[in-house]
Amino acid sequence: MNVLKVPGRTIAVFVLPCLLLYVCLVFVPILVSFYTGLLSWDGIASAKFIGLDNFKNMFYHDPVFWPSVRRTLVYAVASMLEIPLCLLMAILLNRYVRRANSLVSIYFTPVILSVVIIGQLWKTIYNPTSMGGMLNGVLISLGLPSWAHNWLTEPNIAMFCLYFVSLWQYFGYHLLIQFTGIQNLPSEIYEAAKIDGADGFKADRYITLPLIVPIFKISVVLAFIGSLQAFDLVMVMTGGGPAHATDVISTHMYNSSFLSMKYGYGSAIATFLVIVCLIFTVIINLIFSRIEKKVG
Amino acid sequence: MVQKPLRKTLSILMAGALTLSLAACGSGAKSDSGTDSSNASSGGDKASDKKVTITFQNIYPDPTTPTYKTLHTLVEEYEKANPNIHIELDTLNTDQQKMKLKTQAASKEVPDITIVNPSAQMKPFVDAKLLAPLNDVIDKNGLKDTYQAGLLDNYSFDGNVYALPDGNNIEVVYYNKDLFKQAGIEKVPTTFDEFLADVKALKAKGITPLAIGEKDSWTGSFLFMNMLLRTNGGPGFLKDVVDGKKKFDDPAFIEAVDRFQDLVQAGAFPDGATSIDANAGGNIFKSGKAAMWVIGTWETGAIDASSVAGKVGAFQFPTINGKGNLNDFMLAPGSGFAISANSEHLQETKDFLNYFTLNFPKKQFENKNAVGLGQKVEGDLKSGGYSDLAIEVAGLFNNIKGGDLAFDNTMNPATAQVHLSSIQNLFVQKTDSKQVAEEHQAAFEANK
Repeated sequence: MNVLKVPGRTIAVFVLPCLLLYVCLVFVPILVSFYTGLLSWDGIASAKFIGLDNFKNMFYHDPVFWPSVRRTLVYAVASMLEIPLCLLMAILLNRYVRRANSLVSIYFTPVILSVVIIGQLWKTIYNPTSMGGMLNGVLISLGLPSWAHNWLTEPNIAMFCLYFVSLWQYFGYHLLIQFTGIQNLPSEIYEAAKIDGADGFKADRYITLPLIVPIFKISVVLAFIGSLQAFDLVMVMTGGGPAHATDVISTHMYNSSFLSMKYGYGSAIATFLVIVCLIFTVIINLIFSRIEKKVG
Repeated sequence: MVQKPLRKTLSILMAGALTLSLAACGSGAKSDSGTDSSNASSGGDKASDKKVTITFQNIYPDPTTPTYKTLHTLVEEYEKANPNIHIELDTLNTDQQKMKLKTQAASKEVPDITIVNPSAQMKPFVDAKLLAPLNDVIDKNGLKDTYQAGLLDNYSFDGNVYALPDGNNIEVVYYNKDLFKQAGIEKVPTTFDEFLADVKALKAKGITPLAIGEKDSWTGSFLFMNMLLRTNGGPGFLKDVVDGKKKFDDPAFIEAVDRFQDLVQAGAFPDGATSIDANAGGNIFKSGKAAMWVIGTWETGAIDASSVAGKVGAFQFPTINGKGNLNDFMLAPGSGFAISANSEHLQETKDFLNYFTLNFPKKQFENKNAVGLGQKVEGDLKSGGYSDLAIEVAGLFNNIKGGDLAFDNTMNPATAQVHLSSIQNLFVQKTDSKQVAEEHQAAFEANK
């Protein structure tokens, strides 16, 4: 087990600081917020212990909660479905483009930009025609005025506009992960396969895909967890409005805690979010360990 | 051979760096609390030559506004007259300040002077005993008598005053005279039917009738409350609801929602209003693209400084179906200066606040910001060089017969949030007014 051949004490010295920080900054707050979820508390005055009432309200009486959970899950699934696309793109780039690095960097730029900037940028694109919205401008100049919409204020389409921006932003991120993963595969295998007659897509099917699974898994987990926690983009672009039409779990949590001053209730939502994240991470890991066993 | 000692030194170095950085974190936190406790001891004895630092959290970040200038001159003058006092300004914009104060309140670390909003919004802070009663402050130097009659009631609980307002505004309809002329509107509307007809006339000319920035949902609510004030035949609807005398399914409330939807259906508001924030919404009017703007009189100065200056007039919100009185207004008592009950230098802070609020109206008058002051001030607007609009608006103040406070100043925050998003929803889809009323009632009962 002790492959490093260093005494346990040294390991402890190196691990402890991080472990302590992690426990103090992650585990303790999670436990505290679980406890706060059991309180009726406005964040200022003294709190009252009400047991699981917040959770009951959340599950049975809150008209905003389940729709926002649904939107969050749709968001998460959409961002997972994006990853095979990224992988395909990465394979194509790797095969057909000679100096793909610069292209990948370009795809990566939206990830470097702050979400606030991205949000403002897309807001001006989505703006209504009267405020000079670019997308509507383009549609009208193409002779498709009936396609023009108030993208961010029509409750039926606003959320999809947000999904799109987020998928657009993180496309480059996952592309980069997959691309680097593929580049790190040893070229000898491909050369050997070529001699055996496996070339092109056949090589991808039998070599790239099985070997890339661990990288693929990382991307999927990151995408999934990231989108469950989606907050900033929604806050910048719509603030959860119009009338909760674009609320996701985390914005609902924020609004409940800080605007409605129901801090305890907000903490209950946060607890729910943590548990959902944990459950899905375990599920994803299980699925992938099965896949890895199969292809291995 | 060199490798082994190298690795050892490296590992020792790394471990050292780690512990150091940890220690740095620890000592950082410690030194913070250290200064706090030293402050406490210096505040304990009241020697006047002791250095005292008063933290003044405020919401006037924009250097181009008159209030910013007023604040800074008053602070400088006070520091010059009292060399031992240093006033540290913690300047934030309104929303950030609200958020920061809530976080500070949760850990009982309210700054010496902070800003709270009237009535229901400041009640949680008062209930938590975070604010100091200011009765002795207003009794000193006749400060109490400078405030308009009844204004301090909005900041009083159980006979104690807990905050001193920076102003007292009403909500009026500003209109662009040029755009009204273009649409062939002769006189300002006094009934809702006329108002709606004007909206349609403006719309027909391709002019946005009403400017609004409904992404900040208080703007729509502030407008809606005018209509409720009319359909209810006078002030007091929300108070009656709180007292259990009325419910939200009252015909007055339903009618207000219906009339509000009439405005939306007539296309009174800009496209995509719910994605426009309050500032951008105001700019639609101030840049001459919209004909009317229903907003508090605190905007008078800003309108005079904009490109539509000189073209703007103001009128009272019209009556609805013969109900309501033109001289009932939506009242907006300003944000209030409050003192932390746990302030380390309570007396010094109170002395400063007394000086500040006594001189505030005079400085505001000099800085051309006397419209919407909550305090009486000597001086004549006309000879003070104020604009016609400012004088017209000041004239409306003389007509005030009564009025209501904004929804979120009357109801608790949780109910107010449901109300705000319910009104926001009216901007994007036609809704059964009964359902709106039910939503309100349910939220009110759930959060009583």
